[in-house]
Amino acid sequence: MKISYNWLKDFVDINISPEELAEKLTVSGFEVEEVIYQNEHLHDVYVGKITKIEKHKDADKLQVCTVDVGDKTVQIITSATNVFEGALVPVSLEGADLCNGVKIKPTNFRGVKSDGMFCSGEELGIDENYIEGGGVNGILILPDDMKIGAKIEDALLLNDVVFDVNVTPNRPDCNSVIGIAREVSAIYDLPMKDVDYSYETCGDDVNKYISVEVKTQKCPRYMASYVKDLNLTRSPLWLRSRLFACGIKPINKIVDITNYVLVEQGQPMHAFEYNHLAGKKIIVRDAKKGEKIAVLNGNTYELDENDMVIADSEKPVVIAGVIGGVNSCVEPSTKETVFECAVFDLKSVRLTSRKIGVSTDSSMRYSKGVYVDTPINALKRALHLVCQLNAGKIVDGIIDKCSAKTSKVRSFKASMSKIDKILGVKIERNRVLQILNSLGIKATLSGDSLQVEPPYYREDIECENDIAEELIRIYGYDVYNNLEGEAFENSSVTVGAYEPRLVFENNLKNELVDFGFYETLNYSLYSSTACEKLLINDERKNVIKIANPISEELSTVRTVMAHALLLDIKFNLSVGNKDLRFFEVGRVYQPKALPLTELPVENNRLSIAVCEDGYDFFMLKNVVENLLVTTSLKYKLERSTEPYLHSGVSADIIAEDGKKVGYFGKIHPKVLKNYDISHDVYYAELDTDYLSNLKEKAYSVKEVSKFAEVERDIAVVVDEEITNGELTSAIKSACGKLFAGAELFDVYRNASLGENKKSLAYKIHLLNEEKTMTAEEINAVINKVLKSLEFRYKAKLRA
Amino acid sequence: MKEKLEQILKEAQKEIEACNDVKRLDEIRVKFLGKQGELTSILRNMKEVPPEERKTVGMLANGVREKLEEALSKKGEKLEEEALLKAMESEKIDITMPSKGVKRGALHPLTRFNNKFMDICVEMGFTVIQGPEIDTDYYNFEALNVPKNHPARDMQDSLYITDNILLRTQTSNMQVHAMEELKPPFKIVCPGRVYRNDDDSSHSPIFNQFEALVVDENVGLKDLMKMIDVILKKLFGENVKMRVRPAYFPFTEPSIEIDATCQMCQGKGCSLCKGTGFSEVFGAGVVNPKVLEMSGIDSKKYSGFAFGPGIDRSVMVTNKIPNIKYLFRNDMRFLKQLR
Repeated sequence: MKISYNWLKDFVDINISPEELAEKLTVSGFEVEEVIYQNEHLHDVYVGKITKIEKHKDADKLQVCTVDVGDKTVQIITSATNVFEGALVPVSLEGADLCNGVKIKPTNFRGVKSDGMFCSGEELGIDENYIEGGGVNGILILPDDMKIGAKIEDALLLNDVVFDVNVTPNRPDCNSVIGIAREVSAIYDLPMKDVDYSYETCGDDVNKYISVEVKTQKCPRYMASYVKDLNLTRSPLWLRSRLFACGIKPINKIVDITNYVLVEQGQPMHAFEYNHLAGKKIIVRDAKKGEKIAVLNGNTYELDENDMVIADSEKPVVIAGVIGGVNSCVEPSTKETVFECAVFDLKSVRLTSRKIGVSTDSSMRYSKGVYVDTPINALKRALHLVCQLNAGKIVDGIIDKCSAKTSKVRSFKASMSKIDKILGVKIERNRVLQILNSLGIKATLSGDSLQVEPPYYREDIECENDIAEELIRIYGYDVYNNLEGEAFENSSVTVGAYEPRLVFENNLKNELVDFGFYETLNYSLYSSTACEKLLINDERKNVIKIANPISEELSTVRTVMAHALLLDIKFNLSVGNKDLRFFEVGRVYQPKALPLTELPVENNRLSIAVCEDGYDFFMLKNVVENLLVTTSLKYKLERSTEPYLHSGVSADIIAEDGKKVGYFGKIHPKVLKNYDISHDVYYAELDTDYLSNLKEKAYSVKEVSKFAEVERDIAVVVDEEITNGELTSAIKSACGKLFAGAELFDVYRNASLGENKKSLAYKIHLLNEEKTMTAEEINAVINKVLKSLEFRYKAKLRA
Repeated sequence: MKEKLEQILKEAQKEIEACNDVKRLDEIRVKFLGKQGELTSILRNMKEVPPEERKTVGMLANGVREKLEEALSKKGEKLEEEALLKAMESEKIDITMPSKGVKRGALHPLTRFNNKFMDICVEMGFTVIQGPEIDTDYYNFEALNVPKNHPARDMQDSLYITDNILLRTQTSNMQVHAMEELKPPFKIVCPGRVYRNDDDSSHSPIFNQFEALVVDENVGLKDLMKMIDVILKKLFGENVKMRVRPAYFPFTEPSIEIDATCQMCQGKGCSLCKGTGFSEVFGAGVVNPKVLEMSGIDSKKYSGFAFGPGIDRSVMVTNKIPNIKYLFRNDMRFLKQLR
């Protein structure tokens, strides 16, 4: 929202530098994002009068001009052809730094000196709309009445300072000069000046010319007046300057007046070409389904019952509150106009504006809120300007169709002690009343009870908290800097803690970092093709789709973690990074049914991916085992059913209750191809919700034996199909009570062992808790083991 | 005899002195003190000494023996020490060669920052919880005093799934869940992901926030300000400066925005803080009583305050990360710098 410093001065006598004002507005709730000095590139440019023009003796196209710039005479060489003796022109002299980046210094043109340069409108940052001649491809010829030697910023009224103010949604009243002026008045405790709302009429009766009918609930107030004998010339420079400063294009007196009132009063207005209003009627109604209207931005829009239009007796002429139709706008030939000054329902304008994608200064203000009380002053102000600018004759009477209650007085009682409690600091009572009054809030205090009556434009003030905010933002937050005491002096002591899952996940993260892993962070949205690439054909295929996605890549909510990590690996390999060990703790979102009728299940998971030369299944298995060892999880491994893992080199982790709580293994070769990855990738995933929910691991330590363990090595030859797991458990049961462990330490394959055979070597640990074992006892156990292996798995002792 | 003993002593001492290897030292020992040794022979021939001298000579001979034994053992130790030093010298390695074993990886900088922040909060009595990222319009907006078509909805472009279900735009949804589920007094802090329909060079559609909420009797702005002062000092150091601006959030009233000394430039002014030396760290405020009431908390008895920032920017400045997009790119060249 652009606010002009000079314009503010119409309402408050401020003698404060723009920088200070910007700072003050910011700290009292109106953040000034930028302070723009209109004259930034206009210094050292003056109004000059060309007194003599001669041809350059050595250059056909150059003219040597003698120019009176007030206190001196300078010589300017120009190639422009639109200059003439007696013309007033902008002259930039040494030091000037024009807005197109040109810096002026005296120059020699074939032996003739030039003290500077004449400027075009473009070089001064203005155009034809701002001043006649401002858009010509040549020098800007200034009006004859300008003072020779004057600074150009003063002559052209380009000496304003503009604040770009961020007005928060709770303060629609401040989308206007008058609103910000009220704030300035409160901040500095300065009185608001009255602006002139008076106007003269030429008699007659508005009702003879136009009638207004409101046929919708969504227009609480519609005011109209009629002006004839229009004089649609340019507005005076001061008015153009104001609009220009706020980024609005000056057009003609009538249109400029509506825009002026919009910016100053925050009240959108519209001016109709009277002769195009069929039936001399204005009807405010809901649009009909399929109704079309061509509007001023060059487009035609099709409307429906949710939109609102202003129509005449035949056709829609305006999309209410948003944009005017081409069929009824004020044209250069317009002689009579009807001014509209109305209030439209915020939601309706907002929805229509969003739906058709058109945002205008009007729709912006209507969608934030315009008050029922605003139009009256706004319309008067417009009519005042009509008089002041001599823009036409105002016919007596104003049409006012108002279905809402105006000048509503709203007052409530607030507790001063509650306000003190909210703030935690006590503001002197006199100051309280003074601040509220300066904000236009009538307030009286009796005991603890503060009687408050906010003005109509402060609908946001409803309770103690709102008053507390008004007080502290004007009083200043600095008060807390020097306040004694600490937080929570008057409240309860609470004991802090982490949700158990977060503790668990953090432990896993730290462990993985120790194992050389890097934590990644991926978007939880992905392409709808992710499951297909991962060969997934189960319920995880049912992904939640975003209704308004940013792109296809971010169009569904992930049900699988692996996709993102595989993309990370692909990316890293593509930039030459090697030895990739990644993990991520994140969520997958599994819908219960599609389309969503209830919230999905959000499941927290740890995923791990490794792409490294020499890495294998058992290294990953080691990582997984180590992560699980401190939990109380009892699990078994089964061949994995995960579709994106290699069916022979992967395992599912199955908890005692049958729940699959994770899996790990090599990525399926087809999947690698789908991701265009040419290295093996190992991947693991754990359900951290499940694991962190397990009861804490309980330890129960047995007495350490007095006797030493003994070890014996055996190697057996078995069929390939026989697993380590089978042999180990057979060894264990054969050893019985004496079993203290069995480690596989070698796997050997050779043709000499026979076809489809392998040799497995175990170190068997035995321990007798009661005595030292003799060699005979040990041999007996080992023989039992070998017999058992032979019986069960046809294992032969390797020679 | 006496002379002979002294001569043996002298000779032996000389030989011990000159000896510089352990083997030779042993030979010396044998030569003098061994069974056939010179000193041993003298002692063995004691009976040839006249009885009246025997005592003196005996003492003398024992004295020589003791001296020799001492000299031998001293020299022995010295030689062993020398030999060890020499052996170690020969085992000297190049200590600049690379270490062996697994090299530590790294946590994501966001996790590190989050952990630091959460630890501070836990210390102050907050419980860290997380909640749904996909939520209903009610929890994300309505119960936070942002009814449908409220202008405040313009501040956040949402990603919708259905008319009523969306990806949360703010962790503030957790305020409502907490107020519904917990009994005051409580202090909670909820880190998590949020989603917006916004993707350009300085915005990610997914980013991280946390929401902290205190509900109790007798809490207000002063508690908030004092607490944030402590948090900022713990996060960014004792010298951090804080600046407060009034702001607007529908669910807090009064609402403020808190700026702290820009950690990228330490307040000198840089492109990130647009030369102001400050950057925004928290949005905060006293919980709007309407919000308390909507979630069934008696606003006459209880008050509260909330604060919640985007933390990606703080992660950026505290790690001097030049581009916010690095946070989700997972490039090893980036991650490795954060070990």
